[in-house]
Amino acid sequence: MSSFTEINNKIIESTIEIFTGMVMMEVSVAGEPLLEMAALKQSITGMVGLAGIHRGVLAVHFPKQVALDVTGSFLGMEVEEINADVQDAIGEIANMLGGNLKTILSDRGKDIQLSLPSTISGDEYSFTSHADVDQVILPFQAPAGVFYVEVELER
Amino acid sequence: MAKNVLLVDDSSTMRKIISRSLRQAGLDFGEIYEAGDGQEALVMLEKEAIDIVLSDINMPNMNGIEFLREKNNRPGIKDIPVFMISTETGDDIIGEAKSLGAIGALKKPFTPDKVNEVLGPLM
Repeated sequence: MSSFTEINNKIIESTIEIFTGMVMMEVSVAGEPLLEMAALKQSITGMVGLAGIHRGVLAVHFPKQVALDVTGSFLGMEVEEINADVQDAIGEIANMLGGNLKTILSDRGKDIQLSLPSTISGDEYSFTSHADVDQVILPFQAPAGVFYVEVELER
Repeated sequence: MAKNVLLVDDSSTMRKIISRSLRQAGLDFGEIYEAGDGQEALVMLEKEAIDIVLSDINMPNMNGIEFLREKNNRPGIKDIPVFMISTETGDDIIGEAKSLGAIGALKKPFTPDKVNEVLGPLM
């Protein structure tokens, strides 16, 4: 397994690659990784779970306006509210990042299983882990605001 | 003659993106059909004149590996080529897909240029 610093760097590369190549949006790192995620307000989170030789979760947290902008750019259409298209697009971003994380952790494939992506959204919610995990929260700047990529891996 | 394509992915976003990438890559194809999982894909293959399938692996109900296995048991459709497009690119998963007849694999994320390079010769 790569060190957690290496994982951070590769997740940054993957995020920029996905946004540039598929979402058709330029994003950049927006400062140092966070130690803790504050309560999310008017946001949507996409996530995938990892099971097998590494267990954990990869999540992407988007404030509503950023999610609408990202989905609009991804699908090439105007989006005005959090709907099925936004949930699907944000879930798919988490899915692609989860796939890349899986490849970073193991290039084999079957020794780590990836869950299907899911999303949660709401006026205010918290995203916290109850397990003993290594965790990183990477902030990224998109044109409409900052979003976060979070990785939690059980020790 | 332009080939009819079946896109199999549980994400409607991804089906739209693949469809857009095929157009942006300037590839010559006929109709594009869509299915949300392997079960829907089998129904579509039995019903429509499809020449090539572009399929995800990680899907609900029937995943891409199960889809390949089931398709191989159906004489009328077993020879239709399937190309995998997935975040799943581990050696043993792609190896299993190829052992079941998949003709290649493309990793998500991808660019229209990559789509052209990889899928162009198949169209």
